[in-house]
Amino acid sequence: MSSVTDSAPPAASGGRPLAERTSATPTQLHEWLRQMLLIREFEVRTMQAYQDKKIGGFCHIYIGQEAVAVGCTAAVQHADPVVTAYRDHGHALARGMDPKYCMAEMFGRIGGCAKGKGGSMHMFDKPNNLFGGHGIVGAQTPLGTGLAFAKKYQDEVIDGGVNKHVTLCFLGDGALNQGGFYEAMNLASLFDIPVIFVVENNGYSMGTSIERGTSMSHRIIAKGEGCGLTGYEIEGMDVLTVYEEMKKVADTARAESRPAMVDLRTYRFKGHSMSDPRKYRTRDEEQHWEAGDPITRLRDAMIEGGLIDEEGFKALNKVQKTVVREAINWAEQSPEPDISELYTDVYVEKFGPYTGTSMPQIVTDAEASP
Amino acid sequence: MSERIIEFRDALREAMSQEMHRDPRVFLLGEEVAEYDGAYKVSRGMLEEFGPRRVIDTPISESGFAGMAIGAAMLGLRPIVEFMSWSFSLVAADPILNNAPKMLYMSGGQFGCPIVIRGNDGAGGQLGSTHSWCVEGMFSNVPGLKMAIPAFPDDAKGMLATAIRDDDPVFFLESERLLAMKGHVPEGDHYVPFGKAVVRRPGTDVTLFSFGRPVHFCLDAAEELAKEGISCEVIDGRTIRPLDIDTIVESVRKTNACVVVDQSWSFGSPGSEVAAQVHAHCFDDLDNHVMRVHSADVPSPYAANLEQAFLPNARRIAEAVRSALYVA
Amino acid sequence: MSITLTMPRLSDTMEQGTIIRWNVKEGQEVVSGTIVADIETDKATMEMQAYDDGIVAKILVGEGTQVPVGTPIAMIAEEGEDPASIAPSGGEQVDSAAAPAPSAAPAPTPASAAPAPSAAPAPSIPSGGRMKVSPVARRLAEEHAIDLAALSGSGPGGRIIKRDVLSAVETAGENVAGATGDVLPVEIPTTQRIPSQTLVSTTTPIVQHVPALESTEVAVSGMRQTIARRLVESTSTIPHYQVKMRFSMDALMDIRKSLNEKLATEGVKLSVNDFIVRACALSMAEHPMFNASWAGDRILIHGRVNVGVAISLPEERGGGLVVASIRDAHLKSLRMISAETKHLATKARDKGLSTEEMSDSTFTISNLGMFGVDDFTAIINPPNSAILACGAAIEQPVVRDHQLAVGWEMSATLSLDHRVIDGAMAARYLLTLKAMIEEPMRLLA
Repeated sequence: MSSVTDSAPPAASGGRPLAERTSATPTQLHEWLRQMLLIREFEVRTMQAYQDKKIGGFCHIYIGQEAVAVGCTAAVQHADPVVTAYRDHGHALARGMDPKYCMAEMFGRIGGCAKGKGGSMHMFDKPNNLFGGHGIVGAQTPLGTGLAFAKKYQDEVIDGGVNKHVTLCFLGDGALNQGGFYEAMNLASLFDIPVIFVVENNGYSMGTSIERGTSMSHRIIAKGEGCGLTGYEIEGMDVLTVYEEMKKVADTARAESRPAMVDLRTYRFKGHSMSDPRKYRTRDEEQHWEAGDPITRLRDAMIEGGLIDEEGFKALNKVQKTVVREAINWAEQSPEPDISELYTDVYVEKFGPYTGTSMPQIVTDAEASP
Repeated sequence: MSERIIEFRDALREAMSQEMHRDPRVFLLGEEVAEYDGAYKVSRGMLEEFGPRRVIDTPISESGFAGMAIGAAMLGLRPIVEFMSWSFSLVAADPILNNAPKMLYMSGGQFGCPIVIRGNDGAGGQLGSTHSWCVEGMFSNVPGLKMAIPAFPDDAKGMLATAIRDDDPVFFLESERLLAMKGHVPEGDHYVPFGKAVVRRPGTDVTLFSFGRPVHFCLDAAEELAKEGISCEVIDGRTIRPLDIDTIVESVRKTNACVVVDQSWSFGSPGSEVAAQVHAHCFDDLDNHVMRVHSADVPSPYAANLEQAFLPNARRIAEAVRSALYVA
Repeated sequence: MSITLTMPRLSDTMEQGTIIRWNVKEGQEVVSGTIVADIETDKATMEMQAYDDGIVAKILVGEGTQVPVGTPIAMIAEEGEDPASIAPSGGEQVDSAAAPAPSAAPAPTPASAAPAPSAAPAPSIPSGGRMKVSPVARRLAEEHAIDLAALSGSGPGGRIIKRDVLSAVETAGENVAGATGDVLPVEIPTTQRIPSQTLVSTTTPIVQHVPALESTEVAVSGMRQTIARRLVESTSTIPHYQVKMRFSMDALMDIRKSLNEKLATEGVKLSVNDFIVRACALSMAEHPMFNASWAGDRILIHGRVNVGVAISLPEERGGGLVVASIRDAHLKSLRMISAETKHLATKARDKGLSTEEMSDSTFTISNLGMFGVDDFTAIINPPNSAILACGAAIEQPVVRDHQLAVGWEMSATLSLDHRVIDGAMAARYLLTLKAMIEEPMRLLA
């Protein structure tokens, strides 16, 4: 039995009243529940659409990890940059991307967030300060340092003030073993760059358990500490815990302009990608984690706290199902990119066959709306 | 007109300083660029001029600081990354090839990457196989980046200033062997547009096309061949992406013969690309197939004589010209 | 609205999948997330989940069947729907014996007439072969009306180059300078240019009297894939060779006729093949190497004789063939062999054989005699080391006791694994077989 299972903490509320467990307002809690239900339904229908061949390429499902994206983005401000790896639909939705743009992107349609040029692994959303979706394991970590560097440079060198921002750079536990991650942490520490490396530690890099692939797997924050980053270990299946703990981490990083590393313990309920038969882990282990489903935990806590009842939960869930169905319909009706799009967005300027660039619908829509 | 004569390296610095004064978003980072004044003294004095927030010494960590600069460029800053040598860029291949040139495309036009990556490129100082890379063959293959390779001090300034103002990622390749070269360099604003080749020496019998340091070998060869009554037109391409094929074609239609000189390896190189394009555009104008002079198809050697034999030189260029003109 | 489950794409490279097992039955309730089936993809066996709640109304594709991604495989009745009323929308039920025929691939567009070669300037060709001219020299010659055939090239291999044409222009200029002071343009004789139209065939198309053949694709069934894999494995790993012998069948045909007459009331009808099965099985006692398998570093001689009989399947069931195993054939009488063969053949054609009924053969017989084939060779059925290919027993002119006579003869060809059996061994086996077949009383004992 792996330590992934040993450390699994699908515990109940611990008996404490909801108000003691979180500083969040009822409105915030409802919003998180909505986001998590949206992500769950979106991912279920993404799997279906993939199996129906409406989505191509590689596709990585976020089911099980919803509390991480939702809790972490809630803990920072909208202007704070977010960058992540290829399991990115949850982050895009939590950041506020309209599900129709996200779905259309995977369908390879012009209405996608990147006009169908990025795909499942490469979700970009400028209005929502989401800087990708990056397909190469660990590639986003130096970028995360750079985004935080740029925000601090803007605040301090150009505007002459003090740093006001913090950047969330998500990575999977598989990226712990990439060299670029260490370079990114070392530079962030050397230059006092406020970036938080959020390791979504779901215990597996593809089919390799963290024990088989990563030294010090029982205490990965030691890797950040080696670069002078403060490390935090946070239980990632409970959105209340994620929010409360991440809020402290983010506030500290912002105030002190220092990087941090977070080991967020979570679990992906589905395979690494849509082609993964999950033969490397046991059904027992999966069921153990499924018992601690982050959505069920928030629902139960909110019912316990009198913020929602069973009927209200069902109604909220039904709304998300409708939203996702509409996103799929919208994506299906969105046209394929015109062939002329092949040669746009290669260079900002025009030369040779390249014809400059134009903003995708996601930006124009966002700018058009008040 | 100013007849000021300065070194190639000072011309590069002038471009950077001038643009950093103009635009606070521009900053320089790399190994030894600040306190050490640059491994090749290109950034001499810039730390004093701009301070440590804008002239940043990085550790030996190419993948990290190149990736960091790309992230910063996504947010609108305009970093200049100095690689001590382009040979060291290979450890940063993922950020500079998989991120910088593709960001605009993958994000559907949302995030560009206005970054300049510059440093020494090419053999020439007995540095052996690992430190003598000519990356133009490998990297010019990638759409989404621009590639500029100056051969003269005035271009060094004008092209680097243009690169910094460009909204796309620019790979700027300098030759360590040219840094001490002196020449007229205009003071003040000086911008050389990308995609415009220049005729360095007019001629009628053969078109000699090159870029970067080998342009000087071509000029030497042309001088030598003139004594044999062969008139060479020498074209300096200046940028590989974009490539000014029009100027080359115009010349070849006149001379009916073409020799391409490129210090990268021949297989899949800018030289082979130019040759292919000349064949396509000038088929009925050619009296012979396009001849190419490249570095030998072997790893860069250390021994001085082997390195000399490895690189394109005036003698090999002259032989290629005679062969192209059937006078060999 | 009922919901159609289609074969899901369960890997990035998956084109078709095989239903290994249905985990639900018709009439069973499912909820989103229920694992309804195990699907074999090109990469692994994966679980297929339901995305909607409802009742399984209809299973359209049976276990063991491979279908392309997107093919409907089951129907789900939603809440309030009567599962019994649900019919598959388009497409038929597919059972485990045959994959659905994929829609025919679009026929290739008929080859259009070959593009007419563009007319070349066509200089007269020297007897030595193709004339070599540099592109610019050719253009200049055309512009200045220089006859390239009259020039000798100074380039490599006699290539006519720019300076050759220019010097010819100069000479020509001198010749006409007195008249005009300029080079006169001279038209190239049009007869040297071949109009492109004349190259197009003008023959009237041949009227087709035969039914048009259609280009199409046929899905490969699991069985066809197995046949392909095993037989390629056989021919590519086993050093095959053949030894053939002819048998006089007069006695056997007589005895068969008389037995069949006597046993007709008991419903027994022995075939020639039944005799051959028994003869082959009995011969094993003397020739154990024919009942053996090559095992890399040793040869496994089997203690039981299980004679495999190749059975072809009807076209309407997807065709193909299976090998049914007559177990312990050396211990079975003719009538037992006959009954068992008939039973297995009928079952193979109607319902399909179980794995057990098809496994463990130690020697195989393939008989095409019933089709009138008189002679053929077969491919060894691994891990056997021999297969006997039998033609038809044919009544024909034969020489008996130095006299031309009419008699029954049959030709049989052994294909052999040379790693196990050498030529002389094969000959001796055939002689044993011949003795039994030509004295068929021995088969009755």
